Amino acid sequence: MNCEEAQESITALVDQELDQGERSSLEAHMDECSGCRLAFEDELALKRNIRQTGERMHAPALLRSRILSDRRIFSEKRRSARQWLENLWPASPVYRSALALAVLVLLLLPTYYLSNRVSQPVGLAAIETYDSFRRGELPFDRTANSDEIVTRLTQAVDGRFQPMGYDLSAMNMRPVAGVVREIDGRKILVAIYQGKGGSLLCYTFLGSEADAPANAAKFFDPDKKMNFYAFSRAGINAVLHREGDVICILAAEMPMHELLALAREKSRRS
Amino acid sequence: MSGERKAGGAKRELVASEAMVHLDHLYRVAFFLAKNDSDAEDLVQETFARALGANEQFEPATNMKAWLTRILRNFFFDHYHQKQRWVSAEELSQPQSDYWEGLAAENPGPERTILTRELDDQITAVLKKIPEEFRTPIVLVDVSDFSYEEAAVILSCPIGTVRSRLSRGRKLMQKYLRAYVVGGQDKLK
Repeated sequence: MNCEEAQESITALVDQELDQGERSSLEAHMDECSGCRLAFEDELALKRNIRQTGERMHAPALLRSRILSDRRIFSEKRRSARQWLENLWPASPVYRSALALAVLVLLLLPTYYLSNRVSQPVGLAAIETYDSFRRGELPFDRTANSDEIVTRLTQAVDGRFQPMGYDLSAMNMRPVAGVVREIDGRKILVAIYQGKGGSLLCYTFLGSEADAPANAAKFFDPDKKMNFYAFSRAGINAVLHREGDVICILAAEMPMHELLALAREKSRRS
Repeated sequence: MSGERKAGGAKRELVASEAMVHLDHLYRVAFFLAKNDSDAEDLVQETFARALGANEQFEPATNMKAWLTRILRNFFFDHYHQKQRWVSAEELSQPQSDYWEGLAAENPGPERTILTRELDDQITAVLKKIPEEFRTPIVLVDVSDFSYEEAAVILSCPIGTVRSRLSRGRKLMQKYLRAYVVGGQDKLK
């Protein structure tokens, strides 16, 4: 084998695509030829760098949202519902009016009686807590001691679970307080982070992924094999994920893709 | 009839959910083919729509990653490739994409060092600079970890062609990267 013949074989060796015979022949040549050995090492390093650059690249969160809301992709159920409605809807205008009135009454009656009693998913309640916090209406005692926050919150639930604590110092935020909220009989532990990087509330409670609002965008992280649910209201973004029986919601006013990246980075596989 | 429709819908949902697992991979391929964020996102979204439109052609337990990549590459070739030939000079004057801005926010803190970012920028800029016929095999084999055989199926070409284009493409990249080191970023323009 000469140097010219070795060039493509070096590429195939870098990609582990050479059979044993070709490999032995190339190795023998490289033992004699330092130039080809160096070319092999350079190409191997280049491949490694290209791969690492690719691994650090992720699809933007907004693209996930676009795909999940694209009716050509995830629309089958909605289309089926529409066909069902078209089959049910009477052709006669008189019957249509009567049916519309009946449907309206059926919808309004329970809404009228239950409007003050309907509970909402904890996820949305969490956002409301953040809103209260933003308006300065959430009472809490500041402390510089993060261990004290953890102890106080853990005691509030008789040690059944602990608040999830994250080191957000790289984002210029640190824990300043812990608050316990009760929603639908469930105790929610709220750790409040503040600093130059803004504010972030971390909610921890016993629950399931069903605590995410129905319209939350669901993202699957293939590396951690975990689901993340992203939802927003009134400029507040939130991301929910589950670690065992414990649900964590991060709520902040930072861009959704940053919050999602933070949740993905800090979460631990259960 | 309604049972068939229901089964078709279930398969469609299954394919859609499984396809989402490959979103990052498809975005990487699309980004290096289209060479900008906006076209890459459109390309991936259209790939999903086309894949779902043809989901009955997909056989469960076969290589969905390769199947989706082939759809993406064919769509790119049919709809973007011609356009790209005329704008490469303009794009080369912008070696750093908006994409990295988003990435910096995703990975704050010490993990994302300046050196890493510089390397990513260099690799990205050089990959964008080399011709598409060499770039695509590199993206498929080095970024996406496809074998020569899988890359050959995606590109509809012989395995030997994949190998020779990879060899020539990597040599071109080394040449441009050396220029980058010697002369700085301006050499790429």
